[in-house]
Amino acid sequence: MTRNPVPVFLLVAAAVVVLAAGPLFLPPFYVRVGQLMLYSAGLGLAWAILGGFAGYASFGHAAFIGVGAFTAGLVEARFSTLPTALLLPVGLLAGAASCAILSALIAYPILRLRGTFFAIAMLGVSHVCAEVTNNIDFFQGSMGLNFPPIAPASWDPANFFYEVYLAAALLILLVSWQIRRSRFGAGLLSIREDEDTARMLGVPTERYKRTAFVVSAVLTGIMGVIYAHSLGYITTESVYRDDTNLSLIVYSLLGGMGTLFGPVIGAFLLVFITQVILGRLLDFHLFATGLLLVILVLAAPGGVAGLLKRKRAAT
Amino acid sequence: MSLLEVERLSKNFRGLAAISDVSFAIEAGTITSIIGPNGAGKSTMFNLITGYLPLTAGEIRYRALRITGMATNRIAALGIARAFQIARPFRDLTVFENVRVGALFGKAGPRDVEATTRRALELASLAALAEQPASSLTVGQLRHLEVARAIATRADLLLADEPCAGLNPTETAAMIDVLRQVRTNGVTVVLVEHDMPSVMEVSDRVLVLDAGRLIADGPPKTVATDPKVIAAYLGTPDAA
Repeated sequence: MTRNPVPVFLLVAAAVVVLAAGPLFLPPFYVRVGQLMLYSAGLGLAWAILGGFAGYASFGHAAFIGVGAFTAGLVEARFSTLPTALLLPVGLLAGAASCAILSALIAYPILRLRGTFFAIAMLGVSHVCAEVTNNIDFFQGSMGLNFPPIAPASWDPANFFYEVYLAAALLILLVSWQIRRSRFGAGLLSIREDEDTARMLGVPTERYKRTAFVVSAVLTGIMGVIYAHSLGYITTESVYRDDTNLSLIVYSLLGGMGTLFGPVIGAFLLVFITQVILGRLLDFHLFATGLLLVILVLAAPGGVAGLLKRKRAAT
Repeated sequence: MSLLEVERLSKNFRGLAAISDVSFAIEAGTITSIIGPNGAGKSTMFNLITGYLPLTAGEIRYRALRITGMATNRIAALGIARAFQIARPFRDLTVFENVRVGALFGKAGPRDVEATTRRALELASLAALAEQPASSLTVGQLRHLEVARAIATRADLLLADEPCAGLNPTETAAMIDVLRQVRTNGVTVVLVEHDMPSVMEVSDRVLVLDAGRLIADGPPKTVATDPKVIAAYLGTPDAA
């Protein structure tokens, strides 16, 4: 609950302007890092609608990255006569729709599981989707799918995708902000705190969980579609990644579980640490990241947002 | 028409009959206590009324509407609220946010949420603690929070599960005051309570359960002198 929404809003607006101008002054390497930061922040925010607000931590959201990406690729291949400018919108629609359908279908059984069981079941979903994509020829998972270049000719593709990621992450931030301040959001938080009590107070817990799941899946799928386009060529391994499954949890843990900006802070921080600070350490960086995480979680269980809150409470 | 009618209610846990063939009706505007030894089925009764457990046989009607088999959140939305014996606050939220969840959901949906929340907090004398995190409250205050959150749903019927258990005399007196306030505000109250002085003081009527059966029903004074009730609590001479 922010007591001063106007300064926060101005701060975000200023940050967006600076970020949008990034490619004008950043060297190419940092534009790539920026892409990854914005992609991760968007994914982290989408994950947190279910994992942070409702407390259903998914360990398999890469399923929706993959399903979104492959649906978009297969659909766009059939619409190859369309003007280039329309390909991404068509892919986004197709990817979002397939994620909506998949999540709606599995929502009822899988959301009856709580805590660790839900997390592991989602990991299973992610692996099943990956196997299906890999082993059924129709999906071309093992062969790989090509995506047409969609960046306008006058625009450097790296800069173009940077801006697309920024727009998508901003959209997801707006969605989760609206959810956080709504009745729906209050219901999700009460589910995270104590699901039985929430139901006893009249919160339609089943419907809310399902809605949060579908919204989270669709937004994740949108990010997946953009990711696939920015890669230009995808296989099963490049979108159904277990390190993504893991990272999404880490962003919220690092930034502050259940807070609005937590996943953004966490994603920016982790990407910066792994890509920039530890980027030259090659294999050693995984070890260093793991160690850093352990230290951070022990020292600041509430994440960065928790630290800030504690500092504000102390003053 | 009674506010709540329980008709020939039974609940078996596998072979064990937790409630057998219990019928009673609750009139609007009253405070009724359900008492009985441990294991008599008092909390089970609340779990059945709120739809938290499915019943084995019988029927429950609220304002003449059959609520048997309805989802818990739908029953809550009709105007039945429950305060838990072991307080279950939303620990990471403030006292205000806790009560606000009740006002946002519950009966009649989100109207005048802020005002309803404030009113419930005042009624339960928690207004001064509104901005505290719920995790910082004492046991007594948490009980008040349970009641405030339930009242904020604009319920017409409050089921309070041992609101005075484990409270010291001062806290108990404060809780009794809150329950009276709640009734004055037009809410019907059903209590499950062990603390006999509180029961005698606050109730219009007392129902006594023993081993799942209703063995007495009447004003507190009559029930307290009923030989069957005394036997249930103390055992019969020939059984000793």
